[in-house]
Amino acid sequence: MRYLKLRYEDRDRLFEALRKYGEIYGPVKISKKTYDFRKVSRFDDMDLNYVRTISPPKKFVYPPHEVMFEIDREKGKVSIPEEDMGPIVLFGLHHCDIEGLKRLDSVFMGYPADFYYSRRRKHLFIVGYDCKPDEFCACNVTHTSFSTDGFDIFLHPLPDGWLVRVLSERGQALADEIGMEDASTDDFKAFERYQEERRQGFKWDMDAYVLRGVLEMHRHSDVWEELSEECLACGNCNTTCPTCRCYEVRDIPSIDGVHAIQERVWDSCQFEHHALVAGGHNFRPTVADRMKNRYNCKISPAYGTNLSYCVGCGRCTAFCPAGINFWENLQKLSEVSKHAK
Amino acid sequence: MPNNNPLQPKKAVIKKVFKVTPTEKMFVISFVDPKDQEEFERNYTRPARFVQVNLPGIGEVPISLCSPPTQKGFFALTIRRVGRVTTVIHNLNEGDYVWIRGPYGNGFPIDEWKGRDLLFLSAGLGMAPLRSVFLYALDNRWDYGNITLINSARTKRDLLYYEELEAIARTYKGDGVKVIQTVTREEVEGVCKGRCHLYIPQANVDPKNSVVIMCGPPRMYQSIFDEVIARGFDPDYIYATFERRMRCGIGKCGHCNVGSSDSMLYVCKDGPVFSYRQVQRYPELME
Ligand SMILES: Cc1cc2nc3c(=O)[nH]c(=O)nc-3n(C[C@H](O)[C@H](O)[C@H](O)COP(=O)(O)OP(=O)(O)OC[C@H]3O[C@@H](n4cnc5c(N)ncnc54)[C@H](O)[C@@H]3O)c2cc1C
Ligand code: SF4
Ligand code: SF4
Ligand code: FES
Repeated sequence: MRYLKLRYEDRDRLFEALRKYGEIYGPVKISKKTYDFRKVSRFDDMDLNYVRTISPPKKFVYPPHEVMFEIDREKGKVSIPEEDMGPIVLFGLHHCDIEGLKRLDSVFMGYPADFYYSRRRKHLFIVGYDCKPDEFCACNVTHTSFSTDGFDIFLHPLPDGWLVRVLSERGQALADEIGMEDASTDDFKAFERYQEERRQGFKWDMDAYVLRGVLEMHRHSDVWEELSEECLACGNCNTTCPTCRCYEVRDIPSIDGVHAIQERVWDSCQFEHHALVAGGHNFRPTVADRMKNRYNCKISPAYGTNLSYCVGCGRCTAFCPAGINFWENLQKLSEVSKHAK
Repeated sequence: MPNNNPLQPKKAVIKKVFKVTPTEKMFVISFVDPKDQEEFERNYTRPARFVQVNLPGIGEVPISLCSPPTQKGFFALTIRRVGRVTTVIHNLNEGDYVWIRGPYGNGFPIDEWKGRDLLFLSAGLGMAPLRSVFLYALDNRWDYGNITLINSARTKRDLLYYEELEAIARTYKGDGVKVIQTVTREEVEGVCKGRCHLYIPQANVDPKNSVVIMCGPPRMYQSIFDEVIARGFDPDYIYATFERRMRCGIGKCGHCNVGSSDSMLYVCKDGPVFSYRQVQRYPELME
């Protein structure tokens, strides 16, 4: 990887050069306390000091709603809708969101690769951006606090610009085009200071790998009843999670009786129907069962890897209408097991 | 249109419909395009995999293959009418079209069983996937030792493939194949009375060199595990199939997930067939 430097005054040149990699989306303040990835036309449109966006970047590659097939019963034809997305630059993704996309890749691009996800994914150019944690962040717990792959270039704030880690071939070409200089020893020192401040900022002292054992010990415990008492089963924690990916399939006929579509829409494991089968049997009938399943699923290893699905972004806690704190609950579970006889 | 979309359903035609019980029908189906049929046959090598059956604009359901991989040119599904989609399927006739994708799931590791005796234990609709394994074993009779199949249901009318199994038992009499059919809710002529595990002692298999293959409601599994292990059957050769809600069949949609923080799996992709050893590792399968 090359470590280069982008001067503050050169930021617009970077932005302009990025245009050829697609439409640029970056973090924008959309209300007093909320940020989201939106289309931007200038570097300064972005609020790069954001902590987290309300919706994770998964929507770009895995939209909340996607028509998979259009069926013509008379002609006996099943066709796939044309591609509706062009190249996109995602500017300003934090480590957690880059790691989140990697988790989704492991599922959707693992054999057999998902057709729709794959065709969107190849359009992404990813610009990472470093961050300082708030009280809901816990990427230290999930081992996702520093991405070393999964992006094209990654920007780390310096007093007078950015240290840029240039990873992909496209990133190299981009760096050459702008003519970025090598980072100096002082730049590295400033980078190290920033990392030190980041490390100091983490509030939660746990380890996701150890939590696997903790959750295992609570497989049959009553504590889930207590933890889920206030849960509304609204599914917000799934919608805002960068690695939640369950979908429901809908077959919808058109009024003419000839055409039909099959589409998929984001689903939530917190909804009652998620594990319901014919005959009325529900494998996870209670809110407590479903909360337990979500915690286990998030801390469990992503498909074919040893990496936890949870990337520590804190969204499920920050945006829970019932104020349920994922980390606090995991800590409670650890305490209970410490004192268990 | 050829593409690399694993979710693409293929057009298939219903060749024949048999009424198997008052609530179950068997559909014999083949793909309209011979290339699709060939591809299906290339991928269907282990019995009891499943397919997704799609009715455009209505819905899609997972259904086990009840025909063995040794039967070519068609495949068969036995479908119970329980809800929205299965009711519409029940109204279809010969010549009607359905859309199929698959086969999915792992199926039974039947090649690992060569030289062993086979004991099949089925309850209710469980006989549908087991039929494909049983017929496969008969088609490769020389690969396996003695075979006993115990088919159970509530009443005689509910016994899947009653006549077919009786006919097989007559054909293979004296060739080490035994069929026991039993019902739990009535006493009638021609069938035994009681649950399937009551008849394990009558099986013509040698516990130490057997494979136990079961399919039925999961609540019957624990008592059968306990019973066969107590009778000296090899715990490394016990298999059961499991069911969950399924939407994609290929490990993407998340509905069939089972497990805990250090062992999450997808029943559609990692199963639906699991060994007793896997059930020990993933106890959530039994919950
Ligand atoms: C691996 C596997 C193999 C199966 N094999 C057979 C078989 O050989 N024969 C047979 O009759 N049935 C089988 N089933 C069960 C069958 O899929 C359900 O009975 C069917 O989905 C019910 O659909 P419905 O629309 O008629 O019922 P509804 O109750 O109206 O269901 C509505 C929707 O819920 C979902 N759903 C409900 N029950 C199930 C379920 N058990 N599994 C997955 N999704 C479900 C379906 O998407 C369905 O469209 C199998 C299920 C699985 C998972
Ligand atoms: S967001 Fe909060 S209230 Fe809603 S389902 Fe998740 S934990 Fe429950
Ligand atoms: S589980 Fe919560 S903290 Fe972890 S990645 Fe999902 S939203 Fe972020
Ligand atoms: S059915 Fe979709 S993951 Fe198993």
